[in-house]
Amino acid sequence: MGTLIIVLTYIAYVLIVTIYTIKVRKWLKMPPHIRWDLYPVIHEKHYRYGGSYYEEQEWWTKPRPKNRWRSLLYSLKDNFYMGEYYKKNPLYWLFLLPWHLSFIFIIAFHILCFFAAVSMACGLEIGASSASLSGQSFYYILLVTGGFSFIAGTCGSLGMIFIRLYDRSLRTFSMPMNFFNYIFFLIVYGSGLIAWLAFDPTLDEYRTYWLGLITLSAPALHPMTLLHIVLFDLFLIYLPFTRSTHYITRILAYFFIRWDDEPNQRGSKMEGQIIELLGQKVSWGAPHIAQGKSWAEVATEPGFIAIKKDSK
Amino acid sequence: MNRLIKIEDFSSCREQLVEIDPAELIPLPPPYDKIEKPPIRKLTDDQLKRMDASLDGVVAIGLPPPSGPEEEKAFIDKFLAGLAKLFTVENNWTFLQPLVHTLEYCVKCQICSDSCPTYIASGKQEIYRPTMRPEILRRIISKYIKKENSLVRKFKSSDIDLTWQTLARLAELAYRCTLCRRCAQVCPIGCDNALISREIRKIFSQEMGIAPKEIHEKGSVQQLRVGSSTGMTSAALKNILEFVEEEIEEKTGRKIKIPLDKKGADMLIIHNAGEFMAWPENLEAFAIILDAAGVDYTLSSEIAGYDSVNYGVWYDDFQFARVAILQSQVARALGVRKISLGECGHAHKAGIVIADRVLVGDLNIPRESTLPLLEEIVMSGKIKLDPGRNNFPVTLHDPCNMVRLMGIVEPQRRILRKIAPQFREMTPHGVENYCCGGGSGFAITQSTNFPDWRNAVSGRMKFKQILEAFQDVPGPEVKKYVCAPCSNCKGQFRDMFEYYGAWKKSGIMYGGLVELIVNAMVDIEKPFHQWEWH
Repeated sequence: MGTLIIVLTYIAYVLIVTIYTIKVRKWLKMPPHIRWDLYPVIHEKHYRYGGSYYEEQEWWTKPRPKNRWRSLLYSLKDNFYMGEYYKKNPLYWLFLLPWHLSFIFIIAFHILCFFAAVSMACGLEIGASSASLSGQSFYYILLVTGGFSFIAGTCGSLGMIFIRLYDRSLRTFSMPMNFFNYIFFLIVYGSGLIAWLAFDPTLDEYRTYWLGLITLSAPALHPMTLLHIVLFDLFLIYLPFTRSTHYITRILAYFFIRWDDEPNQRGSKMEGQIIELLGQKVSWGAPHIAQGKSWAEVATEPGFIAIKKDSK
Repeated sequence: MNRLIKIEDFSSCREQLVEIDPAELIPLPPPYDKIEKPPIRKLTDDQLKRMDASLDGVVAIGLPPPSGPEEEKAFIDKFLAGLAKLFTVENNWTFLQPLVHTLEYCVKCQICSDSCPTYIASGKQEIYRPTMRPEILRRIISKYIKKENSLVRKFKSSDIDLTWQTLARLAELAYRCTLCRRCAQVCPIGCDNALISREIRKIFSQEMGIAPKEIHEKGSVQQLRVGSSTGMTSAALKNILEFVEEEIEEKTGRKIKIPLDKKGADMLIIHNAGEFMAWPENLEAFAIILDAAGVDYTLSSEIAGYDSVNYGVWYDDFQFARVAILQSQVARALGVRKISLGECGHAHKAGIVIADRVLVGDLNIPRESTLPLLEEIVMSGKIKLDPGRNNFPVTLHDPCNMVRLMGIVEPQRRILRKIAPQFREMTPHGVENYCCGGGSGFAITQSTNFPDWRNAVSGRMKFKQILEAFQDVPGPEVKKYVCAPCSNCKGQFRDMFEYYGAWKKSGIMYGGLVELIVNAMVDIEKPFHQWEWH
């Protein structure tokens, strides 16, 4: 069973990374679009009130500094606060925030487990009474991140089921898949919570499991821990098939759509891409769109020019 | 609480889905709190036979019912063909990424709903939720484009029966969103449900040739044909400019020749032709300020060169591109260094921002707003101003296209703070403003009972906001000014104030920004702004 767990875990991680990568690549591969920016644009100098470089005369002759770090921080910090939800629907926020945080914390927990396991393989003792500070730090950080994710995930999943049923506007647009997800995630987090509280309060088994993963040696685990790990692996495999990629694509949407205020300049790479797109043949069927013509030809359709001349 | 409308109802319900109940609309302050008449006129039996109004009893497009099953099938097939094209690079590179992102990643959390002034003002009618249109589209895609099997569709609640009725309602519903994009602004996932309204409009226009007459046939088509969506020809323009020059002389004693087709001028200024027809005082004020400041500019008499509107931005990529390209061609032929846009919100967004990725090579002539120029003139002291001449309550409306959608927030405020001592903000304002209710073509859509809906529902939140901004001086004895630097918004205010009787009951007037600047000019003897309702 220990070997099976190791194989399943590797498969799960390979799948989640691969599918997420494919999805993100697909998102990024889409062609440049018409500008559709929305203010405030956070990298702008006057982002506090939503101002843009268009507030200046002859904006194209002036520098347009962009504070990308501010934008990145802004988009990341919302993962930990979710301010719009708090403002608009505090009850929903009360359940949504822990639910969301549980995803972030459980991934962080597993990444930390990996580093802990590497350190253990290098001889570091991890525990509350470890001789080294790093060993003690690892112990407590793992306990906090793991413990928090199990508690937040369990409560959050339960809360999400409740709020999706209780709130009329959420209920109307809910689908069976939502409830399947909440129940599945409740089982995953709940099993982790039980395994932790009842059988593995120091998370020693989890560290052993991760040491087994990197040393490719089958760990001996309590059946409850084992069950949780199997469920968690299935959770990793299932996750990319849900809308969970929005953890990443929402940031992309901020940078590449909402805050994309880059002007098209003559001779730029952007202009080259646009010229290529304008050259593609379109097939829209309305009478005012000529058939078999390229985008640019339709947009400068001679038919319309002729009509114009006649009317003069 | 209003009736819960489900997506299934769009296909199965044979009755009108929603009846706008005046008691459910958000309340307005006195004296507008009394319900004196049904807010929306009922259509006649004859109209109901000719046009589909089964969504909410209101008509923007008014599709005629099909004559039989064959026509219905052809209609559905055509829609599906257009929908499929929406996801191809060659046909829709323009909006593919934001479209796909919204359809794939919206989690239907409904955070956007409370940001939508139409949804809120309607008393939270389910059909007006920003998520309603995308969800219908998502279901159609699942069943008819992706052809997902029935189990998957059940799991994802993505089943829908597509009938002519479903599509007729969807077409109308796409014209119940003003594209103000407040919903998109608050979306934590970066989705844009307003864009979906535009993309639905696009399928109907670009594939099926269906759009409200005022926007397409009498709008962008007319603009491309005769030069302006108002129908104003080049010859008529010249007459109007002569009239404007005479008016300026009469009002100010100044003889100003408005430059027209002046080759090699520094900038081509393009106004919304609505100003020429309905608010010539805006043109007069522009001419007076630019003349006093010694600005080297010209207007154009070429097709599309004298009307900045670009209705395509609301419904059709090609109509949009055609107008934008023509405007740039006019500027190129004149040899100007830049194009500057007058007080028109959607023309700003269309001409300066959106056209940016359609205009290439020497058509990509620098384009800017006139607002920073006006700010520079006002602040530099090039013209002498006495704010005391504008000593009446003034509030500022932020046109969505100019403010939320392109970040021009402060220049107009800095001007007003300098020239209007009783200037006060609305709440909320700036990039969080509410739409006037006439956005995305609504202000020009005058057919059947649509104007009633626009005034009673989509503009209601703005009207409430305006009343609240003037709550310290509610009576008609104190004249008040809503400054709207946008021709489209002014059109909406004209209709909406008329609808509610706001001029008579509250003394609320609307106008542009330049009129207030000229009104404050010390070397103009008589007040430029006249408190005459028009």
